[in-house]
Amino acid sequence: MIQTMPSQLKDIHPFAHYADRLLAGGTLLPDTPDNVVEVMGALDSYGIVLDRYSINLIHIADHQFLNLFPVFKYFDGEINPARMWRHFWHDRINYEYAEYTMRAMMWHGGGGLDAYLDTDEFRQNCQSAIAAKIQFNPVLQLFHRVFPEFLIEQIRQLSYYSGLGQFWRVMSDIFTSLTARYLRGEIQHISQIVDHIKDGLVANAARPITYSVEIGGKTYDILPASAGLTFLPDTAIPYVESIFFRGTPFLGTVSYNAQAQQISPDKSRFTYGALYADPLPVGGSGIPPTLLMQDMFRHLPDYLEEHYLKTERGLGDVRVKICASFQRSMFCVTNAALIGLLPKGADATDPKDVDANREFLLGWIDRLASSQLEQVQTP
Amino acid sequence: MLSALLLIPLLGALVVGCWPGKLTSGQARNISLVFLMGNLIVSLCLLPQFDLSVTDLQLRESLPWLETLGLGYELGIDGLSLPLLIMNSLLSLVAVYASEVDIRRHRFYYVLLLLITFAVAGAFVAQNLLLFFIFYELELIPLYLLIAIWGGPQRGYAATKFLIYTAISGILILASFLGLVWLSGASSFDYSVTMAHGLPWIQQVVLLVALLIGFGIKIPLFPLHTWLPDAHVQASTPISVLLAGVLLKLGTYGLFRFGVCTFSEVWVDLAPYLAWWAVVSVLYGSLAAIAQTDMKKMVAYSSVGHMGYVLLAAAASNPLSFVGTVFQMVSHGFISALLFLVVGVVYEKTGTRDLNVLRGLLNPERGLPLIGSVMVLAVMASAGIPGMVGFISEFIVYRGSFVSFAPQTLLCLLGSGLTAVYFLLLVNRAFFGRLATTPTQAVEQDPVLPLVTWQDRAPALALVGLLFLFGLSPSWMTRWIEPTTTAMYEAMPIKLERSSSHLAMPLAKAPIDLASCSDGDCAL
Repeated sequence: MIQTMPSQLKDIHPFAHYADRLLAGGTLLPDTPDNVVEVMGALDSYGIVLDRYSINLIHIADHQFLNLFPVFKYFDGEINPARMWRHFWHDRINYEYAEYTMRAMMWHGGGGLDAYLDTDEFRQNCQSAIAAKIQFNPVLQLFHRVFPEFLIEQIRQLSYYSGLGQFWRVMSDIFTSLTARYLRGEIQHISQIVDHIKDGLVANAARPITYSVEIGGKTYDILPASAGLTFLPDTAIPYVESIFFRGTPFLGTVSYNAQAQQISPDKSRFTYGALYADPLPVGGSGIPPTLLMQDMFRHLPDYLEEHYLKTERGLGDVRVKICASFQRSMFCVTNAALIGLLPKGADATDPKDVDANREFLLGWIDRLASSQLEQVQTP
Repeated sequence: MLSALLLIPLLGALVVGCWPGKLTSGQARNISLVFLMGNLIVSLCLLPQFDLSVTDLQLRESLPWLETLGLGYELGIDGLSLPLLIMNSLLSLVAVYASEVDIRRHRFYYVLLLLITFAVAGAFVAQNLLLFFIFYELELIPLYLLIAIWGGPQRGYAATKFLIYTAISGILILASFLGLVWLSGASSFDYSVTMAHGLPWIQQVVLLVALLIGFGIKIPLFPLHTWLPDAHVQASTPISVLLAGVLLKLGTYGLFRFGVCTFSEVWVDLAPYLAWWAVVSVLYGSLAAIAQTDMKKMVAYSSVGHMGYVLLAAAASNPLSFVGTVFQMVSHGFISALLFLVVGVVYEKTGTRDLNVLRGLLNPERGLPLIGSVMVLAVMASAGIPGMVGFISEFIVYRGSFVSFAPQTLLCLLGSGLTAVYFLLLVNRAFFGRLATTPTQAVEQDPVLPLVTWQDRAPALALVGLLFLFGLSPSWMTRWIEPTTTAMYEAMPIKLERSSSHLAMPLAKAPIDLASCSDGDCAL
């Protein structure tokens, strides 16, 4: 006679302990002094870098509108020989990384912003702005007639420039205020970092995302306030999905071979995001995360540099170390987002609500199973 | 002048050994470096004094010693010994530089290294058979001790095996020398009076075979090679550098000097068999190298294969192949020294040479990127990639040997192809892919290797420079060699039959002059 036991599915999930840890007020990243220094140092420099990225993305969206040859787009309007020398000498922020991120976000789509870009209302907004922009430019007028979708697609991309710029503006401010608290001695645990980020996300959740350009002294709305786009559902969640989880197979720290079927044909099953990336470069250089690490290295706080100097190679492998620390910090951001998005709230006590929260978390933990989550559990 | 090359390392050994008071390892190393630097400078000073128009021995020094035994202190150099002499000075310096700063029993260690430099230099400049033999044997003792004391876990076995093999080698060489002098009735062991021409053919063959086996052990050639992989694997890096770079050349130098010059009549008769022996050695060495998983053993078997080219070129017995013989000795000296240096750095930093364990060493952040790049260059040179010295030496060898032994040359060419196979296997396994986590590292995400210092890199980079220098401008090497090798060929009473008569011309007059190779005339 065959006897069957009742399913205890919720207890046999191999990563259920992470969900339970979160529900018990714990964090995805272990709370150790080293982790606090690494995460704070990474977020400190990342906050500064994001500030620059954000300013530049918004500058491009606002001031390079339908400029088909934006040669000076990384100059933020400051065009002089000294700035050009610094640019070509590469004494600068790698704004290219921000654009790669923007393209990845646009490619994966998702959220209200992506949906709005396919509406008729958006097309009408575009047509008005395009008509104003090209009214004295016969070449572009002809071009627009021949390729009517091209300029609209350019504006879709510019909308993402603006959307990501606004998202990073908020995140930069959250990280900057977190750094200030850390330097005042108020932050000593990973849970405090997570709480600070969560509070920042919640406080800005309903912040409107809008985009308008000024042409000939007149303002044209591309993403009007009436579209109802807001920070959390329309930029933050698509960003986490696109950049933390899915990523892009060709812009990671690992090279992938599409012909060898190393890349999933289904974008929703991509696992090339920041939480999955191998911090160790494997046979490549100059790839985008490396660009980000270079930028963060420029603004690395002294306390993190001292922490790195205690290790085997000192600053010899600093970009790998920054990448690993950055990855740990991104688990904190993910942690904050998951807690913020719990369907029944983080304070739920009713067993049914707790179960619902648990189911929600297990779904995300499933996706994190192949990430670097296990690796960051060790010191 | 030549005596200075013997006295400087000997004096260095005496200073290090008898220095009054305490001498730290670093101080002993620095004193040795000063003496060897002086030795290298004196070696290089030989170049302007060397007269290219003179094909006979130059800078001769002669002092009577034990005249009743026929032993005299007779020194001299020619185009055969000059490059090897300079290479000995250079690689001795490299070996001391690459030695551990805090090596145990440091005084004894550096004394032995300096004694090897002294003995090898002596063997290259000696112009008396007995004197050569004394220096040849003298080098065995310090090398035995260097392996037996500072070697790996199996050092006792490897050192004893080395000693037994090379002692047998010495006995056979001595027997051949004695037989040659006694049977020919020569009054002394001076090179100029000890020629085998007057002896019956069979006696010449017996003496030459003894010499071939004796030097064949030293080179080493299959199947006399089995001491070499063990010795290399157990020896420390500097000793491997000396062993592969210089000491093996004593075998090829002896074979070429005495086999070709002294026994030139029977040499031509045995040449086809020697060429086949070279083929077997080349193919065996290459195939055995493919099967290795220890990096050092792979390089050691590669030496067995590449030294076979020297025998092939020597057997081919024409002016071009003779140039190839000496060029290949020098080329192999640089390349193998570099390979062992790099393998040594890998072993020091990773704690293993196992190709099943090593991975991703070229990692730019946490691996050994510069050392890995040097390894790739060394591998390219060994595989005969144009622009590097390995290509020139192998090209001259094949171009010279093809006209005499076409099938054997083609089979040896296969060995060159196999070189690329086993070294690409090595590079692919150890240097590409994701950097492996070592057993002491708990975090898989975080493999990291110790930093490579400039002390590790400097000698390797210097050798890389030489690979390109002589690869791009081979005439800087051939100009010293060619007059002597051409004269050796001219002095041969019987010439090996060749398919084209123009090859009998000196290299400079032949249409296959290296300088005119661009018109395709050199193509095989």
